[in-house]
Amino acid sequence: MVKRAYDEGGPSGRAPKVPRHESVDRLSQLSDELLLRILSFVPTSTLGLCQRLSHKFRRIAGDSQLWKAVYYNRFVRPRASRLPGIKDPSMSSNHLFYSSKLSKWLDDEHLVRRGQETNWKRQYKLRHNWSQGKCAVREISVTEKPPVPPLIVSMHEGIVYTVDSIAGLRAWSSKKDRKLIASVELETQTNGSPTSLAVDTQELSMNRHRLVVGFEDGHFSVYELQVHTGCFLELYHHPQSSNGMLSAVAYASPYLVTMTEGQLLSLYKFPEAKKDDLVQDLLDPPQLLHSLRSHTVSPPLSLTIRPASGSIIASIAYSVPTYLSGWSVGIQEMRLTSDGELIESRLASAANDDFHSLARSGPFSSLSTRPSSPNLVPAQGSSFGSRDAHAKPTSLSYSHPYLLVSHPDNTLTLYLVTSTSSSLSIGPGSRLWGHTSSVSGAHVGGRGKAVSVSNHGDELRVWELEGGMASSATRRKLVTGELSVRLRPENGVSSQNLDAISDAILQRGFGLGLALEHKMESMSVTRGWVGFDDENVIVLREKSQGSQALVVYDFT
Amino acid sequence: MAATTSIETPQKILLTTSDNVELKVDRDVAERSILIKNLLEDLGGEGTEAIPIPNVNEAVMKKVLEWCEQHRKDAPATQDDDSDSRKKSTDIDEWDQKFMQVDQEMLFEIILAANYLDIKALLDVGCKTVANMIKGKSPDEIRKTFNIQNDFTPEEEDQIRRENEWAEDR
Repeated sequence: MVKRAYDEGGPSGRAPKVPRHESVDRLSQLSDELLLRILSFVPTSTLGLCQRLSHKFRRIAGDSQLWKAVYYNRFVRPRASRLPGIKDPSMSSNHLFYSSKLSKWLDDEHLVRRGQETNWKRQYKLRHNWSQGKCAVREISVTEKPPVPPLIVSMHEGIVYTVDSIAGLRAWSSKKDRKLIASVELETQTNGSPTSLAVDTQELSMNRHRLVVGFEDGHFSVYELQVHTGCFLELYHHPQSSNGMLSAVAYASPYLVTMTEGQLLSLYKFPEAKKDDLVQDLLDPPQLLHSLRSHTVSPPLSLTIRPASGSIIASIAYSVPTYLSGWSVGIQEMRLTSDGELIESRLASAANDDFHSLARSGPFSSLSTRPSSPNLVPAQGSSFGSRDAHAKPTSLSYSHPYLLVSHPDNTLTLYLVTSTSSSLSIGPGSRLWGHTSSVSGAHVGGRGKAVSVSNHGDELRVWELEGGMASSATRRKLVTGELSVRLRPENGVSSQNLDAISDAILQRGFGLGLALEHKMESMSVTRGWVGFDDENVIVLREKSQGSQALVVYDFT
Repeated sequence: MAATTSIETPQKILLTTSDNVELKVDRDVAERSILIKNLLEDLGGEGTEAIPIPNVNEAVMKKVLEWCEQHRKDAPATQDDDSDSRKKSTDIDEWDQKFMQVDQEMLFEIILAANYLDIKALLDVGCKTVANMIKGKSPDEIRKTFNIQNDFTPEEEDQIRRENEWAEDR
């Protein structure tokens, strides 16, 4: 018995002989376990210094578990208290290692799933830089002269896709090298110009990404990018249609949604791929499941399709003109079984007290409609809500449950969409201030991170909108202006004073320092496209000479 | 009557240190150490035989027992490794701070002993003391404090400095 208990006491990690003279490095002789314990008490900034001590310290102070702990302390725990169901105060106290179950709650699943591979120090740095708006700026020059119709951009998993009538479909890496991965010419002579682009949101494999391009003549094509070979394969070419130009497309294999200029929405499903046939060269023609026409939907709009439990939800978020308050937004959702059978179609709109839609009935003929209750509060600060009629939104981005609309009056409106099996509603809008000129584009991600760009392209803001405006912390941040952070690109030379007056920040905002300032200044017209993933923000900019460039803000 | 006797004379136990010195201590003081507590439970009965502590010498053991004596009234330590009572801050109470004013050799001996004897609170005090010696120093100063050998080439060191610059400006 005695023997067993000793074993359980654990090894002491102690060197058997300790030399007795004073120039001994006792600290480095400690076991890794004890050193980690010591380092868990030093501030994050000191961890970096400790890595510079010696090889041993470089390894230990860079330990992923240590950084995971600081990552959770800074970025996850504050969120945990805001999530319903994690209210137990003991949960938010000092647990060094969170269980993966809790992590799933917090939507860091993609990090935890990678398990051992996750470099928590790198993740911490990434989030740190996002929170500081700190990034490096690089540029990808895409065109020398502006194509007509304008270049379309999309971004997914670190790859930026562009499509235009001159250079065709291209894929760029948004990572360090920013190289052109692949390109394919489009037969614009016969097909007309590309007018819309969407990436398949259902990931098939790491190195193969599918995307759909919609064209002027109403046809669409499905392409597959093979990253390792660097080529695009045309998997499917849909015949042209008399319904006109495709203004928006969305793709989540095997479902595909298109929207025409004439507001005709079509939902397709591709047949199941045969098993053992992963390297598919061609897709069989899709089946048209549903087709709906709208009379009231106006651009800007956002088409999305997402799988839900046991069903597929195709939704369209759109701007809608109203009698008294100018423009508002609405959402229509179609829920389908996985076989493509329509379960129901419903809609909701956001409105002010004086809301009167031009069309009280749904924008689409649908099986059942459930308009949201009209008892909505006007946008935050009622004086603003009633005083000025909303102008037509400049852009609209929907990533469930966040619906973000940008306005020409320097503001954005955030709505939270609630979609359950029994109802669909749009919460009251919240105005977001911060921009100093007209907001021309905004993009919101699934976790409530949003990026917006103002008209002159020199102001980019990152917003943390998780949980919407319901939490008092978020509201307080809005008042104090901490909700968004303006990007502060680094220009190679480390910036000495981070609190420099806005003028200086503006200078740095041009990204390449004083020497190149003039050149960057001429690049002032933004096309309004902005997108981001975990590591980068990409903005499409147009220079005064007409050439276009993708500006990459790199947070790593 | 049994209850009164235990109040009058707290049970004593014997510990044998690595240098073969026998120390007589109150059982509740010694039980701050989870290792000793578990041993006593496993032995059961009176606990009259001396318990060998082969990894800790007399001087260090006396120092550790001094701490245990001071903290004998604290809430019993739990076996849970990351108990919530473990504070993140590097604040150390005044008595502990004074207690830890020892030379580095003794400081690290205490840490090793606390780890071996499984006294979490003392281990944390020791680790925090070392953390406080690291905090706010330049890498050179830290190396000097602990006699750490810089085994980097100047190029390597420069590269690591640049890699970690972002974390310093907070």
